[in-house]
Amino acid sequence: MTTKITSARPAAGPRNGSRRRPPASSATKVGRPGFAWALPAAVFFALFAIVPLIMVAVLSFMSWDGISSPEFVGTDNWSRLMDDPVMFKSIWLTLLLTVLGVAVQTPLSIVLGVWAAGNQRNRAVLSVIYFIPLLLSATAVSVLWRALLDPNFGIPAEATWLFGDGNLFGEQATAIGVLAFVSTWQFTPFHTLIYQGAARAVPQVLYQAAEIDGAGRYRQFFHITLPQLRNSMITSMILMIVGGLTTFETVLILTQGGPGTDTTISAYYMYDKAFKGFDFGTGSAIALALVVAATIISLVVVRVSGYDKMRSTMEGVS
Amino acid sequence: MKTRARLPRLVACGATLALALSLSACGDGNGGASSDDGKIHVLVYGDATNKVEKRLVDTFNKTSDVKVVLDTIPGADYQKKLQTIISTPQAPDVFFNWGGGSIKPFVKADLLMPLDDFIKKNPELENKFLPSVFNNAVVDGKPYGIPMRGTQPVLLFHNKKVLKEAGVQPPKTWDELLDAVDKLKDKGVTPIALGGGDVWPTQMWFQYLFDRVAGPGLFEKAVGGDKSAWESPDSKKALDMIRELVDAGAFGKNYDSVKYTNGGSVALVASGKAGFELMGSWYYSQQLTDHKSFAEKDLGYTAFPSVAGGKGDPANVAGNTNNYYSVMKKTKHPEAVAEFLKLMYSDDFVKAQLDIGNLPTTTNTDEFIAGSGTPEYSRFQYDLVADAPSFQLSWDQAYPQKASSDMHKAIQQFFNGQLDTDGFIQAMQALPTE
Repeated sequence: MTTKITSARPAAGPRNGSRRRPPASSATKVGRPGFAWALPAAVFFALFAIVPLIMVAVLSFMSWDGISSPEFVGTDNWSRLMDDPVMFKSIWLTLLLTVLGVAVQTPLSIVLGVWAAGNQRNRAVLSVIYFIPLLLSATAVSVLWRALLDPNFGIPAEATWLFGDGNLFGEQATAIGVLAFVSTWQFTPFHTLIYQGAARAVPQVLYQAAEIDGAGRYRQFFHITLPQLRNSMITSMILMIVGGLTTFETVLILTQGGPGTDTTISAYYMYDKAFKGFDFGTGSAIALALVVAATIISLVVVRVSGYDKMRSTMEGVS
Repeated sequence: MKTRARLPRLVACGATLALALSLSACGDGNGGASSDDGKIHVLVYGDATNKVEKRLVDTFNKTSDVKVVLDTIPGADYQKKLQTIISTPQAPDVFFNWGGGSIKPFVKADLLMPLDDFIKKNPELENKFLPSVFNNAVVDGKPYGIPMRGTQPVLLFHNKKVLKEAGVQPPKTWDELLDAVDKLKDKGVTPIALGGGDVWPTQMWFQYLFDRVAGPGLFEKAVGGDKSAWESPDSKKALDMIRELVDAGAFGKNYDSVKYTNGGSVALVASGKAGFELMGSWYYSQQLTDHKSFAEKDLGYTAFPSVAGGKGDPANVAGNTNNYYSVMKKTKHPEAVAEFLKLMYSDDFVKAQLDIGNLPTTTNTDEFIAGSGTPEYSRFQYDLVADAPSFQLSWDQAYPQKASSDMHKAIQQFFNGQLDTDGFIQAMQALPTE
């Protein structure tokens, strides 16, 4: 029996290789901050995130118009949402906008980020210019684009060969296109920054070795840079997904969910129900569903990508 | 950075809800803390008109023991903020509103003071105002608001030069309007500018046409809870007429991408790219600000055209009747509030409002119009409102606030063809009426 146990151990060894830890010595204990250090942040987080979240959860089972006292209605709000075609449309639109955002912004910001990590002439100047959209608030950006895209006095009036009658906000496809474009315009700089930092961290020895082996710029990019950016890519994509799921200001200012309900994404639908329709119960239910969905999707991305295991991108370097 | 901040922001929205909830929960027992400081808090919509309100408050405070404090909230947020604080200790004593459906839920929640006691002691609080205006803040037979600021009828504005070049007269009837649409189209201009991106300008066509075709009764029935009104022959006729106008190309093709609020449709008319625009009386001062020389030379205005065979009196008006001050039941200083409200029909008030382009609705406004900044325009508006047998309050203000979003959606969808007549009728029937 004892032999069986001991023989099982080495087999498990390699699988748990990454979990191997040095024995806790008094030296490491001294340097490690105690729980007390996290207390202010924890209290803050509990007060401003957890407690409201719980209250929103409670509110989602109530009927409340903001004036009279809330009334407990059980799962009424939830079952009504389940039968609500606009809710399903909003989920579909939210996913569509999120996927569009990730699909467009990721390649764009990788290319820009890697480029900005180099040391070409004028690189710094151009990088600063690219960065400007991020410095503007989403509100300012939306107001700006709404004016620029005015069909009679904006860009569409000058480029009728491209925009036709310029009814960008009057049709679903083009309205969604504008929303995707505006968030890309605003947030690509941020993700570019992530990739720029990551690309700078790629050890130069890898490129030197590749050059000796005769690899060209494109091979270097696809076989060294891109794999080395893996962790940053996941970070950036999680941010994009969570950001995409909770997009709000751009829709509020650019389309107000219209025409009709054609761009009513879930976060806007929550606002529409709670603050325009004064149905805070249903609004809370949508908000809660969004929080749950965003959390699950982030966890899945982290899991599937192996980000949680923190596999090193330093493989083959040392 | 921005991206990451979004999730917490969503949660913060929740926190606001939760916070408001906890406040309303404890608000009942200990009464209004803010009204205990020996002052009256007056909450108003924050905009350029505030300077008149500040002056009135200063005048009042000179003689009164109980002082008035004026609190302003920037326009776009006003309604939401009011709704959030009205049942909390932060609620004001007196607040600005649009009468009609905008105060109904508060009356229902028993938050407002009926003003008949004030009026019994001082009848001038009622009979110093035009009745059609005063009556819009009457809920269930009791008055809940005193008119303040100015009336805002919706008028059909036009570019005189564009109309002249197309050989068109300002239309007096619906057929003349349709005829004008054809002629303007032939000239290559958009016949009617419309800021469909904001939706409420689109709604103005509905509220006027329904009134002309069916008279004020139909909408009154509908807003009173009788949903069959929407499927009546008159309702369908009005919808057909709107359909006909849209299909004739009266508004061009891209009206839903145009906004009034960013000056888009305003510029269309001023630059001669469009002939007409249906808009509230504030349009004049908007054009004066944005396109001064056009407003002074070529901006024309008429009443909404009449409809042959329609049941509505062609003299009927639609728009925002006025704004009102309503009083909270919990106020600790009702006498002082009553004194303050008397200022709303004072000569000083009327003059000050006229000076900034507002048209007050007191019975003595008439006397001061000649000396105002734009006497001709003020006179036209005043006569229009004073002679109107009925003043239709904007649909989205007449319905409870919570209906406005769904109403706007239905209106936009019917206008651009996403909803047919039956779909629109169903959508309007689904709106909450109380």
